[in-house]
Amino acid sequence: MAAMRARHKIRAPRRVATAPTEDFDTLWGVLSSSLIEIHTKNASTLSFEELYRNAYRMVLMMRGDDLYERVKSLEENWLRDHVRKQVTESILPILVRAQNPQSITDVQDQSNERRAAGERFLAVLKEAWSDHLLCMGMITDVMMYMVRNSRGGVASNASNSLLQDRIISADRTKPSILVVSMILFRNHVLRAPVRPDSDITVAHVFESTVLFMIQLERAGHIIDRPLIRNCMYMLEGLYETVAEEESSNLYLTTFEPAFLSTSRDFYKEEGARLLEVGDAATFCRIASQRIAEESERCRCTLVTATEPKIGEVLNNELIRKNIEEVVRLEGTGVRHMLDQNQLDGLRIVYTLNARVDEKKSALTGEVSKRIVELGSEINVSSIAPPQAPSATEKDPGGDKKEKAKEKEKAVNPQTASAIKWVDDILALKRQFDQIWEKCFQSDQNLHKSIEDSFEDFINRNTRSSEYLSLFFDENLKKGIKGKTEDEVDALLDNGITLLRYIKDKDLFETYYKKHLARRLLMKRSASMDAERQMISKMKMEVGNQFTQRIEAMFKDMTVSEDLSVNYKEHIARSADPDQKRIDLDIHILTSTMWPMDAMVKARDGQVQLPCIFPREVDNLRQSFEKFYLDKHSGRKLSWQASMGSADIRATFQRSNGKTQRFELNVSTYMMVILLLFNDVPDGESLTFEEIKERTCIPEYDLVRNLQSLAVAPKTRVLKKEPMSKDVKPTDRFFFNNDFQSPFVKVRIGVVAGGANKVENQDQRKETEKKMNDERGGSIEAAIVRIMKQRKKLGHTGLMNEVLTQLSSRFVPDVNMVKKRIESLIDREYLERLEDEPATYGYIA
Amino acid sequence: MADPTTSEFVTLVSCDGFEFIIPRSAACISGTIRRMLDPASKFSEALSGRCVLENLTGIVLEKVCEYFMYNEKHKDQANVPDMEIPAELCLELLMAADYLDT
Repeated sequence: MAAMRARHKIRAPRRVATAPTEDFDTLWGVLSSSLIEIHTKNASTLSFEELYRNAYRMVLMMRGDDLYERVKSLEENWLRDHVRKQVTESILPILVRAQNPQSITDVQDQSNERRAAGERFLAVLKEAWSDHLLCMGMITDVMMYMVRNSRGGVASNASNSLLQDRIISADRTKPSILVVSMILFRNHVLRAPVRPDSDITVAHVFESTVLFMIQLERAGHIIDRPLIRNCMYMLEGLYETVAEEESSNLYLTTFEPAFLSTSRDFYKEEGARLLEVGDAATFCRIASQRIAEESERCRCTLVTATEPKIGEVLNNELIRKNIEEVVRLEGTGVRHMLDQNQLDGLRIVYTLNARVDEKKSALTGEVSKRIVELGSEINVSSIAPPQAPSATEKDPGGDKKEKAKEKEKAVNPQTASAIKWVDDILALKRQFDQIWEKCFQSDQNLHKSIEDSFEDFINRNTRSSEYLSLFFDENLKKGIKGKTEDEVDALLDNGITLLRYIKDKDLFETYYKKHLARRLLMKRSASMDAERQMISKMKMEVGNQFTQRIEAMFKDMTVSEDLSVNYKEHIARSADPDQKRIDLDIHILTSTMWPMDAMVKARDGQVQLPCIFPREVDNLRQSFEKFYLDKHSGRKLSWQASMGSADIRATFQRSNGKTQRFELNVSTYMMVILLLFNDVPDGESLTFEEIKERTCIPEYDLVRNLQSLAVAPKTRVLKKEPMSKDVKPTDRFFFNNDFQSPFVKVRIGVVAGGANKVENQDQRKETEKKMNDERGGSIEAAIVRIMKQRKKLGHTGLMNEVLTQLSSRFVPDVNMVKKRIESLIDREYLERLEDEPATYGYIA
Repeated sequence: MADPTTSEFVTLVSCDGFEFIIPRSAACISGTIRRMLDPASKFSEALSGRCVLENLTGIVLEKVCEYFMYNEKHKDQANVPDMEIPAELCLELLMAADYLDT
């Protein structure tokens, strides 16, 4: 092994061409002249290797520090004597003058001149910078060995410069030659005075020139963007400190603040100017244009990092300060846009507002204001003139009395206006939904505010529940005929949307039940499927409890159908076959589920005697009662003639001796009335009083039924004397043998009764009273439920709990809740706790 | 080799006149040579694509070029075989490596 090692003797490195003449100064002489050559762009005549080797040798001589200092001073001299001269010479007097604030006005006139001068100056500066950068790159390359072999080792700073920067000397504070050269450039070129005797520096002129250019661009001129961009690169490449932290680069420390502050001024002015023009659409258009411009400017002309900052300036100066006014601008603001359906305008307003305000409160406020306005208009127009505008009544509890004088109105226009109300609201809702979707990017905040606004004005109309129910009634009766399933579905969904807004859902339920009862009993519903669909929709929307009773009504209907069939079979088996049978379709209704009071008109507290049926019918009634009570003992049947209908075959003796038969579909009352005339000889008459006495039909219903029979022109089965529109107690009625109709089957409707029209004032009061009773019950129940669970609860706590529990059905009136609490205390369900004021205890 | 500033191969010349023509990418493993050939700087080496290295003898430069190729071949690989370095050259190679910033 030893022998082996000996053979492979390590060769000492040979000194290659070590010329004895090479001392430090000679080498530096060669090097320095070469560096000047580099600066004068004659590098192609130089050999990198030679320069590198020279620097290498110098460092090997342990003279690296001297080399560093010499390079540094060489650079300093070069910058001071050549570059600075070049740059300051390019600054024309006009640019210096522009520094002076007083002279700005006259500079305005010379903007073209100033601009040309500025461009020239910027070009020179840029040129100087890029030369400097290039040369320094080359010099650092050449000096690499010096840089690399410094004892300091690797420094950690700025890795983005052309080279890996390394510290030259033992003390690490010494910056790399490249960094030093940058500092030198900053001090000797940028910070040099423009004229020997002035304190304006090149940097000042530079800044003002660039800002001037930007201003020109804002005014619509075209400027040399790449030039400015390059100058910005220069600023970014220079730092305040040796350490070259990102935050200390000259762009951030000097130019950006200046730029932002001029922009702030500019946009403050622009905002004021635009407001003066007073056109919201223009404002928005220009504002969004400016936003786009500025961000483009940052991308193409300045530095991308400035984009959010200038955006913030725009937000503050141009938008935040002005948006509210813009939104409210008379005649052109948001309101105008909404009215004119200017989607683009709204979209811009939204975008602008969203920039400055997470909640978009300005826009939101205006939109909801407008909705409420429009909604109130609909409310007002839906209410017939003699009634007070419902907008003044805000109490949803409805215990406020309507002050306006009640007046008998034509029924149909009222109902129509109710339906129009719903349609109008739906149209409005559609419009805003569309706007919301298209312009407001389906913003959640706005959605909520739109919803709230709708809820607000819908509930201002105390009749909204009734109107909505009427709307359903109308559509389920007629509206859905000839429509496809999808259309029906959409229609019902629309209605449900409104139902969502209505706070007094219990009131709606009452009306709905009433209307539904009519539809079911009178067989007026166009489609049972649609009815069921409607219920399932309501169930989804409002909950099970809400539809329970409505569903029970449907159940009664099906049960009754079976019962009728059973009864018919029973009769067919048992009855005398000779007897002329009357077919009976019976509806057995569970009285608690159905709005009985709406059907039984116990008017003015007077007890209503049951209607006296003609003999044949009465027999039938008794027979059925027997049949039914056999099956279900212990039940009580009360007959609601007012809700029924009958098919009767009537024979008319014509004056020419012929007879003609018609099948009349009439209400039960009409049947009763008409059957009376069976016993009246031809030509004889019955007075109103007589009819009333013999039938016991309530006067109100009797009048209506007689009107249908004797006044309505197409269905005049009876003749009345005297011939007039109204039915008076003294009127006499004859059977009209000259009755004419093009059809064999004639349907004689009752002159539209209470259920299908808007309630009149009395009925309304009644409904409200009933409603209040019912609510009182619900409130008490809720109170007791809560207290039973809590045993002890403060007043406010109890109040809140009650309100939350009931809010899904209606908004309870606070006073009413208080009264209920009082009454419960009186009835000793609750007690006031002695030791704790305003606290209730539950008495088990 | 139409344009020496961009051509794929460069020529390295030793002080005693040996020329080695190797791919530019391989030569640029050396920091010194990379800077020497940087087209932006316009030194004569960059323009001609020919670097005369006065500090290196042909023997050393040969080994250097061998290393360049070796490095080029095995870059981004793990577990590469060691390159054979004659013991008598190792000091000189060290100096060359220092000079070339490799």
